[in-house]
Amino acid sequence: MPEGSQGITRAKDICRDRFRRVKELRKEGRKILGYICLHAPVEMMTALQIIPFRMLGDIYETPTQVDRFLPRAFCPFVRSVFDLSLKGKYDFLDGMLLVHSCDAMERTGRIWESVVDHHYFHFMDLPTKVSERHRKFFREGLDDFKKTLEELTGKELSFEELKKAIESHNEQRRLVRSLYEITEKVPPKISGSEILQVIGAITSIPVEEGNKLLREVLAEIGKRKSGKLKGPRILVWGSVLDHPAFVEMIEDLGAHVVIDDLCTGTRGYWVDVKLDGDLLSSLAYYYLVELRCPRTFKEAPSDGKRKDYSADLEERFGYLREFAKTWKVDGAILQSVKYCDCHGFEVPQVKDYFNSLGITSLSLEHNYMIADREVLKTRVEAFLEILRGGVE
Amino acid sequence: MSGEGKKRYINRLKSFLPLRSKIDETYKKSLEAIQMGRPVAWAMINAWYGDPILRAIELETVYPENFGAVCAAEGIAESYLNRADAEGFPSHLCGYARNCFGYVSRMTKELGGKIPPEAPIGGMPKPIFLLSSNIGCDARYKWFQALGRYLDVPVWVLDMPIPGVKELFRDGVYERCIRFIVEELKEFVHFLERILGVKMDWDRLEKTVYDIEEMNRVWFEINEFRKAIPCPMHSRDFWSAMPPSLFLAGKPAETLILYKEMWKEVKERVDHKLSSIHTEEKFRILFSELPPWHSLSVFENMAERGWNFVIESWGYHPPPPLDLSGISDPLEHIARFSFHFHTAYFKDALEEGEYYGYMGYPLLKFAREYKCDGAFFHLPLTCRSTSTHQLYLQEKMKEKLKIPSMIVSGDIVDLRLFNPAEVMKRIEVFEESMESYRKVREERS
Ligand code: SF4
Ligand code: SF4
Repeated sequence: MPEGSQGITRAKDICRDRFRRVKELRKEGRKILGYICLHAPVEMMTALQIIPFRMLGDIYETPTQVDRFLPRAFCPFVRSVFDLSLKGKYDFLDGMLLVHSCDAMERTGRIWESVVDHHYFHFMDLPTKVSERHRKFFREGLDDFKKTLEELTGKELSFEELKKAIESHNEQRRLVRSLYEITEKVPPKISGSEILQVIGAITSIPVEEGNKLLREVLAEIGKRKSGKLKGPRILVWGSVLDHPAFVEMIEDLGAHVVIDDLCTGTRGYWVDVKLDGDLLSSLAYYYLVELRCPRTFKEAPSDGKRKDYSADLEERFGYLREFAKTWKVDGAILQSVKYCDCHGFEVPQVKDYFNSLGITSLSLEHNYMIADREVLKTRVEAFLEILRGGVE
Repeated sequence: MSGEGKKRYINRLKSFLPLRSKIDETYKKSLEAIQMGRPVAWAMINAWYGDPILRAIELETVYPENFGAVCAAEGIAESYLNRADAEGFPSHLCGYARNCFGYVSRMTKELGGKIPPEAPIGGMPKPIFLLSSNIGCDARYKWFQALGRYLDVPVWVLDMPIPGVKELFRDGVYERCIRFIVEELKEFVHFLERILGVKMDWDRLEKTVYDIEEMNRVWFEINEFRKAIPCPMHSRDFWSAMPPSLFLAGKPAETLILYKEMWKEVKERVDHKLSSIHTEEKFRILFSELPPWHSLSVFENMAERGWNFVIESWGYHPPPPLDLSGISDPLEHIARFSFHFHTAYFKDALEEGEYYGYMGYPLLKFAREYKCDGAFFHLPLTCRSTSTHQLYLQEKMKEKLKIPSMIVSGDIVDLRLFNPAEVMKRIEVFEESMESYRKVREERS
């Protein structure tokens, strides 16, 4: 742990014991709602003084209870979160919002609601496509969600309160982006695994506390001396990594994870929610269009008669070109938990895109649990060797 | 299959034969269309969402999911799966999708777009576009999106709202979904008109929609007859007869007549208390999800022991009939019918405090209403959509209905994962379990 790293130490502490702060706040009478997927409009909860809490799994805890309800050949992340819930570890929540982000979430959500007793449970559907009509439809779904929150709190959600909450969350987005700006530099003063821990921390405390923590962290990192350039600069793409172990493993092998495309990394922070006009429409636009996730169907505009694969890849993954350029990426690791269909179908296409950019990539599948890391290590090591051949 | 001359224990209907033959006809027609310079589409099974439109606009359509099952049954799938692996697709993805990736990769990379000679039932010709949907699983649009690597044709996705069980009953939600679906359909019709260069014949659409609703009403009634003891129609007959309903194989006007014939045959069996197995009906069984297409003979062996498969997977069944007589717009008919398919059981589910309103709860209801003694779950390892609810249902059936179930792992395409001999070994033990639960139910009632 770096000397004098107060902010980072705090972030790591919170990340290690994510329940502690919200449990305290619950004792003080605050309401806590759990959500799993990034598509949950946390701003609406914050606006009503509800604390949004991102429910994660535990890579160290073998799932046992969940075998009663979910098959083994199933998203191991969702299995882990559900297992913790079945074991009562999420009992401190007042309820849950489950968003239809992928099959695994949608289906498990229905089982969850049937077998876990939460005072509040809302299932929010999410269209697959992104046209104006789809956004409008989703906006109406947000309005339903708003009503359920008003019923839960007995308060009306005002325009002003929602605007304020969006501003706070946008502020959080900007602060997280500032963290990633640090990793643009060669060598970076903050590691990829540290960033993941900071994000793990801020998704388990109220947004204002999270922003304060981020400012602390940024100030602290600003004072850090530059380290040494250890090795290749890596982009990590893929499904949820809710624990820093995977990225730590890459970094321990002498590489820098400088940027990611993960739903526990950049994805939730890259764009701000716009504050003009109808705020629910802005949220609908953000969560359906701006939030990058393979679950949403996007394609390049065309004449509707012929599909151009390269144009399609550019439309869907163009941001990765920016990432690669700005963060001077030497190689990409495409990782996904097994049984994740959304990411699984995407892998060869993302690989095609990286190939077109001249960036070497490695794809890896894992079973989410910590024990799998050792198996992956050998492959990552070999990949880094290849990159070193080209980097040094 | 059982060896030649071996005694058959399933008392098959006669009326399933012409219905089953509609599948081959579909592939034949698509090949003829290509030979005559007419386009062909590929579609995902879409629960009567896009299919009625495709039929009305007379676009021949093949279903790669069904083609996957055919390739598996014909022993061709393995080479396609290996190709898909080599192309970098993870092996846990839907077996039908991987089969399709392998097939298309061979077709486009090796054969310049020609149908591979080894392809069963004539193969699938190159499509003019791909019709996806979010119905049923993510694979149904992610798969076609990924085909962009090989095919330069557009993908059209039909979006189906899928609300939560209690959320559906919030003010205005149901009608809002219907309006949304109607708009989806309008856009789809415009897309088709553009790509095909023809205009939709709205009268034909109206007639097609009417035939589909009527056909499904008859098909639904046929399945209601199966509540009788003994059950007059086995799951084998159901699976053989379902394609004209499920993905509109054949012309609905013609297949409606065939289903009416089947209605008569099944009704006659009910009237005469005729069973769909030649042995005494000892156990009435619910079958859940995708059948092991490659090992259907195992059902004969079970029939020999008095197992009658009386009801199966919700996703293959039409919804209960809906009175749409007051609605004139054929698109609204389609919207209401297809949405009803997904949500028809939500109200009952909510009353019972169950929130898996489609896929899960309906099977619970079926198990009760078809007076099942046990359930047989086939858990396909590469299909999340049809495997997610099985353990949950097992738990619920036992807890709420005192009905035991057995889960057998397998796959839709990889034949090696399903072991019929192993299944037969397990069923003896399961029979004991069914007997003892029967006593529990009797005591309870
Ligand atoms: S990892 Fe994949 S399957 Fe699991 S919740 Fe995320 S998107 Fe869904
Ligand atoms: S995942 Fe299952 S439901 Fe989806 S296309 Fe494949 S077999 Fe069909």
